[in-house]
Amino acid sequence: MEQAGANQVEAVEQAACKPLASLRQELLDEMASLRHFSNRGLLALSLFLVVSTLAWRDFWFLPRPEKIVASLGAPPSPQTISIVLVLYTFSAIILSLSRLMAGLKHASSFCHVGYTGVFYLFYYFAQGLQDNYWAVFGAGFTVLSLESYRIWTWSQQQLAKKEQQLAYLDRTGRLPVKDDEDEDDDSY
Amino acid sequence: MFDKIAGRALVPVGVVVTGFLAVCFVLLYAGIKDIVIRDAAGQANNLAGIVLKSTRYAMMNSDRTLNNTIIKNISEQKGVEHVRIFNKKGIVAFSSRPNEVNRQVDKKAEGCVICHEKAVPVASVGAMQKARTFRNAAGTDVLAITAPIYNEPECYEAACHFHSASQQVLGTLDIGLSREATLGALNSIRMQMIFFSVLTLILTVAGVITLLKIIVLVPLQKLQRFTEKSEHNSNVTQPTDLPYELDKIAKSYYFIRTKLGEIDKSAL
Repeated sequence: MEQAGANQVEAVEQAACKPLASLRQELLDEMASLRHFSNRGLLALSLFLVVSTLAWRDFWFLPRPEKIVASLGAPPSPQTISIVLVLYTFSAIILSLSRLMAGLKHASSFCHVGYTGVFYLFYYFAQGLQDNYWAVFGAGFTVLSLESYRIWTWSQQQLAKKEQQLAYLDRTGRLPVKDDEDEDDDSY
Repeated sequence: MFDKIAGRALVPVGVVVTGFLAVCFVLLYAGIKDIVIRDAAGQANNLAGIVLKSTRYAMMNSDRTLNNTIIKNISEQKGVEHVRIFNKKGIVAFSSRPNEVNRQVDKKAEGCVICHEKAVPVASVGAMQKARTFRNAAGTDVLAITAPIYNEPECYEAACHFHSASQQVLGTLDIGLSREATLGALNSIRMQMIFFSVLTLILTVAGVITLLKIIVLVPLQKLQRFTEKSEHNSNVTQPTDLPYELDKIAKSYYFIRTKLGEIDKSAL
C-alpha cells in the first residue's frame, strides 16, 4: 500500500514536471487514438460483409469443391460444421459479454472475421454453403455487432475520462491523481 | 439512445438473443431439411424397387403389353410425374409418355452422368446419388430416382439366352415424384420456426424491459425526484423501498443535505 502510494505521488510529481502544453497534447493524442480505436468494430463488420458477399457469390474465384476434396480429402460433414458453429457462436458471445462486463479493452474483432470466413470455406468444401449461409452470416453479424458495441462503449467511457482530465488540467494546470480504476484501465 | 440505461442494457441483449436464435433456427432448419430430403429420397428408392419387382415377371417373359400396362398404372398414381425404363444403349424402352419410347437419351444428361461420367460406367451407386431434383416442363419440382436393373442368374440362364452373364446392368428405371408435399412440409416447418423465434424474441425483450424497469429504472426515478426536490426544499424526506445500493446513495445525500441545512441555519 505504502509503495503504491509512493508510486502515485511520484507519478503526479513527474506529470507536474512536464510542461502544460505537452501534457495537453498527450491527452489530445490519446483522445484521437481512442476515437480511431472506437471504429475498429465497424471496420471488422465491414470486412465481414465483404467476405459474406464473396460467400454469397459461391467463391467463384476458388477451385470447385470436388477438386479441393480430391487433393485434400473429404471435409467434415455439414452437421459437424454446424455443431462447431453453434459452439463457436455461444463461446464468442459469452466471452464478449464477459469483456463488456469487466470493461476490458481487448481488440479481438478481426479474428472473428477470420473464424467466420473459415466456416464459410468449410461449408463450401462440404457443399453445404447454400443451406447454411444465413447461419454463418447470423453468427458473424451477432458476434461482430456485440464486439463493435463493446469496443465503442469502452472507447466512449475512456474518452469521457480523458475529457474530464483535460478539463481538470485546463483548470488547475496539473493532472488529477489517478484512482485504482484508472490504473486498471491504463494497464490494457 | 445509448445515453440511457434502458438503451445500454437492451442493445446487447437484443443483439445476442436475436442473433443466437437466428443461428440456431437456421441450423435446425438446415438439419430438418436434410433429414426430410433424405427420407423422401429413401422412400423414392423403395418405390423404384417396388416398380422393378412389379415389372420383373413381365420382363422375364418379354411381355411388352404387360410392362406398358404396369408402367401406365403406376404413373397414374397421384404424385408420380414420370416412369420410364431405358435399355443398355440408353434408348427408352417403356415410358408413361408414349412419345418418348424408342428415343435415345444423352448419357451426359442429368441423372445419367452420375454413372457415365467416366469411360467405364459405375455399376452401383448410393441412395442419395441415385436421386436428382429438377423442375419439369409443367413447372413441378420433381425428385427423380435412377435405379439400375441388374443382370441376375434368372436373366442370363433363361432359355432365350438373350443376355450374357458378363453384362452387369441391363438397363435403368427412371421414376420422377412430385416434391410438392415435401416442399410444402418444409415451408410449414420454416414458417412455424420463424413464428416461434419471433415470439421468443418478443418475450425475452419484454422480460428484460420489465425487470429493468422494476429493479433499476423506477428506483432511479425516485432517487432523481428526491434529489431535484431537495434542492429547493430541505424538508423532503428520503424515499423508501429503494434497492440497497440506491438506498445508501439516498442516505448519504440526505445526510449531506441535512448538514448543509444546519450550516445554513447557524450562519443566519
